[in-house]
Amino acid sequence: MTDKTDYRTAGTAWDNAWKIAAGLGFLGLAGAGAGFAADGQRFAFSYLFAFVVFLTISIGATFFVLLQHLTNAGWSVTVRRTAEFFMSALPIFALLFLPIAASVDHLFPWWHDHGAQHASATAVEHVEEHGPAAAEANHVEGMHSENAHAQHVAGHRLSNEEIEHQLHAEVMASKGWFLSKGFFVGRAVVYFLFWTFLAMKLFRNSTLQDTTRDLKLTNRSQSMAPAATFGLALTTTFAAFDWLMSLLPNWYSTIFGVQIFATTMVAILSVLVLMGYAMRASGLSGKAITTEHFHDLGKLLFGFNVFWAYISFSQFFLIWYASIPEETVFFHLRWSNGPWKYISVAIVVLHLVVPFALLLSRNTKRHAGQKVLALGAALILAMHVVEMYWLVMPNYAAAKGIGPDLAGALAPHWMDLACLFGVGGVYLAAVFYRMSQHAVVPVGDPRFARSKRFENV
Amino acid sequence: MSVETTTVSVPEGRAALLLAEYETPSACMKAATKLRDAGFTKFDTHTPFPVHGMDGAMGMADSKLGWIVFVMGLTGLLTGISLITYANGIDYPLIVGGKPAISIPSYVPVCFELTILFSALSAVFGMLGLNKLPRHNHPVFESDRFKAATDDKFFVSVEYTDPKFDADRTLALLASTHPNHIEIIEDTES
Repeated sequence: MTDKTDYRTAGTAWDNAWKIAAGLGFLGLAGAGAGFAADGQRFAFSYLFAFVVFLTISIGATFFVLLQHLTNAGWSVTVRRTAEFFMSALPIFALLFLPIAASVDHLFPWWHDHGAQHASATAVEHVEEHGPAAAEANHVEGMHSENAHAQHVAGHRLSNEEIEHQLHAEVMASKGWFLSKGFFVGRAVVYFLFWTFLAMKLFRNSTLQDTTRDLKLTNRSQSMAPAATFGLALTTTFAAFDWLMSLLPNWYSTIFGVQIFATTMVAILSVLVLMGYAMRASGLSGKAITTEHFHDLGKLLFGFNVFWAYISFSQFFLIWYASIPEETVFFHLRWSNGPWKYISVAIVVLHLVVPFALLLSRNTKRHAGQKVLALGAALILAMHVVEMYWLVMPNYAAAKGIGPDLAGALAPHWMDLACLFGVGGVYLAAVFYRMSQHAVVPVGDPRFARSKRFENV
Repeated sequence: MSVETTTVSVPEGRAALLLAEYETPSACMKAATKLRDAGFTKFDTHTPFPVHGMDGAMGMADSKLGWIVFVMGLTGLLTGISLITYANGIDYPLIVGGKPAISIPSYVPVCFELTILFSALSAVFGMLGLNKLPRHNHPVFESDRFKAATDDKFFVSVEYTDPKFDADRTLALLASTHPNHIEIIEDTES
């Protein structure tokens, strides 16, 4: 019955995993670099897509670790270290962000124009030309009538384009203070400083305990957890606003940050199931990760996946019901734009319906070596990648001026893959390198033995 | 047989049982394993706290509750779908917010809530039903020693109605599992 493994990767295939990841990352980045030189705009979107795929996993890992400290969780101790590895590489995203910082011009329409200045200038121009009544009337029409261009106001007929332009300018004027260059960069710096501090602190507290067995380290992590959770929730929300929502600066959804939070949890939980599965299969985790841990991870994965669907649907539902143009534009890009419709449907079916059926039963989480659970986790993780593509890429078509129903709205590019390998390779190299330096379960945690014996009642 | 055995009488008309008292959870679990291996099905364990592994030791199958909840949840879902389709799609089509009379997104909240409602209620009542509750009394409560089941003693009870039950042999079987004490809780009519 004794568990003889020392929980180290030395002498196993795991020890070299980081070198393979680093190699793939290097190749990917080389390809992405070539792409950057060839087509800067496409590179920007491909890279942002790859960036958020892995950033969400890393932020999710941090949320998971904080959640365990918040609740003084004993059950999860043996799987917490895996999440800590995925959390520990969070600081590297500060470096990986640099290509995005260099491409802001391509990504964010608000970056180069449409400040407050621009908006007021347009309004003034318009008033001068047609008198104040015209400007007022156009404003009202633009907001409420879909056939605004058919109306004549003070003898002047405004084109759709003009109305859109003016509306856009007004909305942008009200957002100008937030979507300004200096503030945007300042916020990014704050996010990365906070994330770096948090990831390093929590990781150090945990790994230090492997040797010192100091109880105070657990207390320290636990006492910082409540404030850190607030901080992480706020930074995640605003990062989602900055880097994803502002791709379409006219559009807004107050629940967007929550949706991204749900995504991060779903991503890390499926990663934890798959990592636990691989570590158990290779004997690396010995008897530390048991059916009981898979059962609980499976329950959390199922629950958060339903939560993700609930939030995503809530966002869609309100926009669908209200049917206000500046809100529906988000789904319009992902439904009316050629093949995106099928991807939207695929996300509903393969991210929610199929995993729901796979993970619902207690048996799939406990029996048959968790093969069905692992299958469900793999499907969810794959769909996580698709979802991030779905969030980012329609904006590329919009930026290129590809409208509804035109061919080319969905144009997969080799750069998508290159960036995925580039960012993923670098991130996973950092994760697996950390893994090769420490025990893969927190052997010094006071609750470690209890976690190994833990059972669902 | 060195185990002390006492007999307690039960007021008429109820099935009675053998009640063995143990000092430790492991002794109690071993007794349960022995009964399981001997083919008993109508026996139970009574412990002051949940004992890990007891379900396996008793040879209990997975609860059927999940299936009840699943079927009732589907019923709730279909109830929602048919209610909205009939009421707003067929019987009295009403255009709200410019949406078609039968429009799927507007189904979701109602169907979701009905699925949850049916599942939750069937989980509660299904659990009560499977546990044969509510029930006002049980022969084990005739025993004074049984009060320790919520304190520091562990009990195994075997019902007379078990098909494998044989008064002498079952008593001998229980006695071989090293209990503190055995009580024969008898129906006064038998």
